[in-house]
Amino acid sequence: MKSILQIALGILIFCSLSCSSMREVSIYEPSKSISAFEQFPHKILFTNSAENGLWGVKNTHCKKVSFIKNNNYVGKDHLHIKWNASKCNYIALGLKWDNYKVKNLEPIIQSAAIELRVRIDSGAISSIPMFFILEDYGGNQCRANINYLNLEGGKIDAEWRRIRIPLQAFNYKKREVNMSNIKELRIEFQRKGDLHIDNIIIVPHQHNYKRTKDIFTKVFDTHPIRIGGGKEYWWGINAKYSSDLQFGDSFKNESVIVNIDESNEGSWNTFGFSPYQWMHTDINSIYTTSAINFKIKANELPKIQAILFAYSGERRRLQKTLNESHFFDNKNGIYEAFLPLKSLIGHSEFRWDMLKEIRFKVLEGAEFEIGDFQLIEFRGNPEKPKEWRGI
Amino acid sequence: MERNINLFICLIFSLAYALTANSQVSKVVVTKNSFGNFELQRNGTPYYIKGAGAKDHFDLLVKSGANSIRIWSTNNKAFLDSAHQHNLTVTLGLHVRPERSGMDYNDEYAVKGQIEYLKNEVLKYKDHPALLVWGIGNEVDLRYSNFKVWETIEIIAKFIKEVDPNHPTMTVIAGVDPSKAYYIKKYCPSVDILGLNVYGSIENAAVNLRKFNWDKPYIVTEWGVNGPFEAKKTSWKAKIEPPNGIKADQRLRRYKELIEKDEELCLGSYCFLWGQKQESTATWHGMFLNNGNPTEAVDIMEYCWTGRWPKSRAPSIKNISLENIGWRKDHILAASTQATLKIEYLEYNNKEVIVEYVLFPEAFSDKIGGDIQKSPEPINLEIVRQSNNELIFISPKRKGAYRLFAFIRNKKDQSSVANIPFLVE
Repeated sequence: MKSILQIALGILIFCSLSCSSMREVSIYEPSKSISAFEQFPHKILFTNSAENGLWGVKNTHCKKVSFIKNNNYVGKDHLHIKWNASKCNYIALGLKWDNYKVKNLEPIIQSAAIELRVRIDSGAISSIPMFFILEDYGGNQCRANINYLNLEGGKIDAEWRRIRIPLQAFNYKKREVNMSNIKELRIEFQRKGDLHIDNIIIVPHQHNYKRTKDIFTKVFDTHPIRIGGGKEYWWGINAKYSSDLQFGDSFKNESVIVNIDESNEGSWNTFGFSPYQWMHTDINSIYTTSAINFKIKANELPKIQAILFAYSGERRRLQKTLNESHFFDNKNGIYEAFLPLKSLIGHSEFRWDMLKEIRFKVLEGAEFEIGDFQLIEFRGNPEKPKEWRGI
Repeated sequence: MERNINLFICLIFSLAYALTANSQVSKVVVTKNSFGNFELQRNGTPYYIKGAGAKDHFDLLVKSGANSIRIWSTNNKAFLDSAHQHNLTVTLGLHVRPERSGMDYNDEYAVKGQIEYLKNEVLKYKDHPALLVWGIGNEVDLRYSNFKVWETIEIIAKFIKEVDPNHPTMTVIAGVDPSKAYYIKKYCPSVDILGLNVYGSIENAAVNLRKFNWDKPYIVTEWGVNGPFEAKKTSWKAKIEPPNGIKADQRLRRYKELIEKDEELCLGSYCFLWGQKQESTATWHGMFLNNGNPTEAVDIMEYCWTGRWPKSRAPSIKNISLENIGWRKDHILAASTQATLKIEYLEYNNKEVIVEYVLFPEAFSDKIGGDIQKSPEPINLEIVRQSNNELIFISPKRKGAYRLFAFIRNKKDQSSVANIPFLVE
């Protein structure tokens, strides 16, 4: 019991003494935070040749590299390179950047840039064919070039001019570069040039530019879809030069009156339209269950060829000549056509997310009207479109 | 007082310089003539472009009857100065980076940087006396997917309208297409002229433009023979190049029957290429050889531009065959065997011609749209016997793809060339 009391007394005395030596702290005093940039330890890439390692400095018939000791921007020397890429595929220098230590650029991507000073011996230029490449330890590389907005004075001349390459300017996302595991910086030189370089460092930098979104793709994922809406998205119809093809009005939506002068060798017998405002029309998710549907007003069915074009891809053109199996006779001179997209040879190699144009060529038949184009749902046998009960 | 006098003298000189410089600037406008056809007028006079894509051989260009050159970028002022000294005008290209070179038109930073750079270039060159037309971008549409590039073209064209009322604006596309016509009409109202780089597609270019409802004038900014991208290939993917004589006939027909005949919309043309470059081969588009010798394509252009043939004409190779198989077919040889190459040519008024044969490894390249390609170096050709029409040689020991060139020239070094690709198996 006595010993417990002694221990309690001891703690009390210790606490009292400790309290008396405590510093008074305001509860409103801000904590001193260190920014990601300040914490980044690898800020110097090159200030002089003795302290900063480089590779690719051996002279070849395509490049001459030297370290010049006078007129430096900083340090004891600077880099001078003359190159001519006409006889070489690749000319580059590599900066070992803190002796190849792993650099984690992730925390500073938004707030830092690579800065360097450059000059030429005489004259002035406003661009130079050189690129900056960040390489990660997986061997992936991303690139950036010199942007006029970050070229001091908009030119390179005999003064030491500042260039900044914001880390955001590197295409690291596209190239899948691991920015937390960077090995080195390369500088690649193209064509021909002569440049002095000094003081390559990492600096704080606010990059206030965004990446905008693709606005030229129209995705369709449900039926029916009206296609070719708007006369401005059609071609092949120009009354100033030809009366073979003219816009008609027999149908609800756009239509073309075909009245070809077959005696004229230069008659216009082809027209086309964009499915949707000349955008990349993306019907990838529904093309296998889609058919082009349109109407023809004629005394006799014409022979026509349908041709589809994609903006890109290995196979950019699909075509089909329509025959009687594609048409229903709706009576009173109106025919309705169904062209299942799966019936087009090569459809699986076609970029259905990049559909560009639907074109028709009149092979036979001089007088008719064609229009009311749409893309409808079709789940029948592509070779026997009329037999599907869904129509 | 002395300081004031100096200042006054300086002012007078500056004013005089400014007036002189300004007086040299040509006023170029697109207008319509009394027939309702589009016309380019330079300083009030109709100006039909008889031009070439050219960076040198300006003396011969002028002698051949040309009046203008087209250059693709602003990176060398010397071309403009030299053209001016030769009394040639210049369609000056503003290099708008195509998407295929890595440019991302969704990247605001890259887009804005490029625009500011090009605006600065416009200010630098707008008063150059040789300037005829601005060419904003060259083939930015080639394999592109982001149509935002047309916004950049318009921003630059609009800027030109603000700062340079003296020169029309043009953008140059790779072939005619309804979607391109639509986008340029919609997004680029400040573009006055459409530039067309058309090789095989020149055949229908004029009618297609009308079909695509293009209603402004155009300039054929690159034309010539069908390009390597349009050529047939051998089974080992080597492109088959027609002999110079065939290409010369094609140039003549295209100029006379296609370019000259469209008086309504066509403001003139620039043939490609008044110089030499490697594009699949060293001789495909170039009207000169890499040693600077002019080929018969130069004679053709003189005839097109002036209506007369030069007094001294280059000989012209019309046909080439290997082992009696024509140039359009595949040629496969065994290694280290004897083979015979034959050529047929027209001498014209040359009493004497010199024929040379050179062997190259095949230069396969996946570059497109005039992007820079590397030239291969010649390799040793083991000749058994040769005459002006025939070469007997030993095929290479090493298996692979090769191309054998026949060069013919007169005493003035006017030349013609033909080649034949072959495979050693």
